[in-house]
Amino acid sequence: MSSSIERSFVQQLQENQNLIHKICRLYTNNEDAHKDLFQEITIQLWKAFPQFRGEAKFTTWAYRVALNTAITLYRKKTRTINTIEFDSKIHRFNQDEYNYEEEEHIKLLYQAVQQLNDIEKALVFMYLEDKDYTEIAQTLGISEVNARVKMNRIKSKLKKILNP
Amino acid sequence: MDELDKLKNHWKQNEPRFPQISEKEIYGMLHKKSSSIVRWILIISILEFVFQVALTVLLNDNTGAQPLHDLNIDYIMIPMTVIGYGIILYFVYVFYMRYKKISATDNVKTLMANILNTRKAVSNYIYTNLAFIIVSFVVLVFVLFNTDPDLINAIQKSEANGEKITFYLTIFVFLVICIAIFIVVVWLFYRLLYGFLLKRLNRNYDELKKIDF
Repeated sequence: MSSSIERSFVQQLQENQNLIHKICRLYTNNEDAHKDLFQEITIQLWKAFPQFRGEAKFTTWAYRVALNTAITLYRKKTRTINTIEFDSKIHRFNQDEYNYEEEEHIKLLYQAVQQLNDIEKALVFMYLEDKDYTEIAQTLGISEVNARVKMNRIKSKLKKILNP
Repeated sequence: MDELDKLKNHWKQNEPRFPQISEKEIYGMLHKKSSSIVRWILIISILEFVFQVALTVLLNDNTGAQPLHDLNIDYIMIPMTVIGYGIILYFVYVFYMRYKKISATDNVKTLMANILNTRKAVSNYIYTNLAFIIVSFVVLVFVLFNTDPDLINAIQKSEANGEKITFYLTIFVFLVICIAIFIVVVWLFYRLLYGFLLKRLNRNYDELKKIDF
């Protein structure tokens, strides 16, 4: 690989790193595991970069590789550790619109999402990222109808988790 | 508005603030070794192939197999060796072709299926090799019964004492126990190793299949 390709890759990843962070946040539960998964995704993205021809947006291409790494390729090294501190650091509201009650509710929602399985988390992530069902279905390798059905089930499941 | 839509609104309006990774740190990450499941499968599979090849070479080693060479049973040993190496070559080829198909840019289900297929090539190799080892063992025992002077002597002695059936039965039970122990140990080893390694992958793949059922 020439250094210009490496430079271009690093620059694009650096600019779009929040996308990777969001996936890491969803699939890990402490700071060390988050960093570990970020590194593995970076390695997988770099390995797959020669296949990226710029036909799609970097982010569109990257989130598929990142999701694949989080769901399939990544081997968890660390076990569950208390995550409250990490959670509150990341999901804090902007100061000007701070609303304690709402923040508590959003926190509970994130915690409920954490209880979903890997595939359900992937569906939720793509839903939050505003991907349409065609793209969600293509990314997971399932039919569009089944992606919709599963999403409805996830919504019910979340409701049950939040209101047992 | 359902719960997930509330979360979506928050997700959009309040982009989570993550500690940013610098370009320098990303450069560093590019040259780190991957710890992905595919890399582990590759390492373990190569070790398995190397171990099996080493075992085959060792068993055919001149000094170790000298007593067998002395019995002049090359008509059995040569075809068995050729088949043994043929099995290795065939499965190395299948493994390589399947391994090359694994791509992180595929959809989740295809990626999982390709990884499991690659893994299956190695487990098929192990099962084939196990069957081959057992068949070779049985054939060898049968040949030894007909060619080894010490064994022929022992059979004749047991015949003279009227213990022919007891003798054969003892040998038979001993062989069955040996083969059973061998199979159980190998099976347990693989169940533990791959049960641990592929548990999450299998669970997620089953979940995807269930969604698309």
